[in-house]
Amino acid sequence: MGLISEEDKKYLREEFEKTLRRKVEILYFGEQKKGSQYSVQTKELLEEVVALNDKLSLTLKNCDDADEMKSEGLNLCPSIKVKSERSGFVNFYGIPAGHEFASLVEAINDMGSDNLLLPDDVVEGLREINKPLDIKVFITHGCPYCAGAVRNAHQFSLVNEKIKGSMVDANYFGELSMKHQVSSVPHIVINDKIGFVGNVPPKIFLDKIKEALK
Amino acid sequence: MEFSVRKNERSSGKKHFSAAVIGSGPAGLTAAIYLGRSKVDTVVFEKVIPGGYVVNVEKIENYPGFPEGISGEELGKLYARHAERFGAEIRAEEVTKLTLNEVPFRIETSHGSYTSDSLILATGTSNKKLGVPGEEEFTHKGISFCATCDAPFFEGEDVVVVGAGNSGVQESLYISRFAKHITIIEFLDHSTAEPILIDRLNENEKIELLTSHSVVSFKGEKFLSNVDIKDIKSGEVENLKVKGVFIYAGEVPNNDLVKDTIKLDEKGFIVTDDRLRTSVEGIFAAGDVRNTPLRQVATAIGDGAIAGHEVYKFLEESK
Repeated sequence: MGLISEEDKKYLREEFEKTLRRKVEILYFGEQKKGSQYSVQTKELLEEVVALNDKLSLTLKNCDDADEMKSEGLNLCPSIKVKSERSGFVNFYGIPAGHEFASLVEAINDMGSDNLLLPDDVVEGLREINKPLDIKVFITHGCPYCAGAVRNAHQFSLVNEKIKGSMVDANYFGELSMKHQVSSVPHIVINDKIGFVGNVPPKIFLDKIKEALK
Repeated sequence: MEFSVRKNERSSGKKHFSAAVIGSGPAGLTAAIYLGRSKVDTVVFEKVIPGGYVVNVEKIENYPGFPEGISGEELGKLYARHAERFGAEIRAEEVTKLTLNEVPFRIETSHGSYTSDSLILATGTSNKKLGVPGEEEFTHKGISFCATCDAPFFEGEDVVVVGAGNSGVQESLYISRFAKHITIIEFLDHSTAEPILIDRLNENEKIELLTSHSVVSFKGEKFLSNVDIKDIKSGEVENLKVKGVFIYAGEVPNNDLVKDTIKLDEKGFIVTDDRLRTSVEGIFAAGDVRNTPLRQVATAIGDGAIAGHEVYKFLEESK
């Protein structure tokens, strides 16, 4: 038996069939050489996901390839970047398990379609951003509130190419979590500067971004 | 390791509905199932994820049909799929304002404006705050209201759980997988949890229950480091060194949207009759947010069925 149940696979096949309008590539930078259980499981999960629709593909890369990581704008390993012809930096540092698996599915659907679920005034505000913006959403797999914050960060990146949205597995990246004083999730860190906790509505999220960019 | 597949949000772009359900816990989604089967075009608004508070519960063991228990996450997912199957549209939007003095009712959300001919309020409850010094300051800096979210941050640490009701005991059992030692602080002289949970608590060597105690204050520098607790009988105050506190000291109704427009009881729960009608015609309430003697998944399901059925009848009679 795989990591995804047969019932969920059936559901996801239908969802992807209804939603995906273009090809989506999942770029996975893993620690293949070390063969850690975490990386092995992440790879297995992604293989099962891409098998659900022929518009999906998986490209396996090694975190040791620093140049390639850099060219993709990534600096933590393992990393999963969801790419398509649609502009956007939709990324996961660590395995999107538990409630975060829903974020991965949403990310695939968003990159494979023209989904945009943000209010018009937020879209307008995001378009005005003209400086690089890095949004990291620290999560735990048991957190039901975190996927909403990850979705917001990913959706923001679809609006403006200066915005990078990443999920960060707070337990796996323990040192980074300590650096940003994460003890409740979702904990959002903007440009490694401003941090706040909670799955806030997009408008409040945008206000926090503006604060960080001051 | 588990992988949660929740309903994918897909918007129809509609702005008017015959029925709007606020909250997608067991009550809200059951109402949506009944409305969907009655061919009523229905929207459900949810600010977190489908399933409501129940998704925080690691295992629900008293919901009939699942003798081995079922995770709240799984149950929430099934409810959402079920409602969706019968046509309900679930939108991940936070309702911010309701205008109830005109029909159709106006609904403002984090993402836009809608109207609806009827409403079901199924907004549930939130964990009650203690209102003691330091609580605000150290919330998210050691104080948490979500064990499934934050317990892993307290691996090998000493932790306090406030409240020895069902939630407090159940969550303490979960936290014990991570923490070194858990002290449960209970105001009453006994735990109000189900006897089966108390048995498990007594069997767990990591958990200590202190009844007849209350929290006086939370202290620390940047992060929480100490909790002052008081023995209610002797008045003696003791200081506990802890890294984390989880608060499960009762619940408060999520009534902000209607507290000035709909009749509430003295504790703030929405007053309904036995057909779940509120004080405003066309508006119904279901689940934990209303004045009900028991707040469980099983009772919320019953409420959802009644509310869905009553809204259908109301819409038919209004034609």
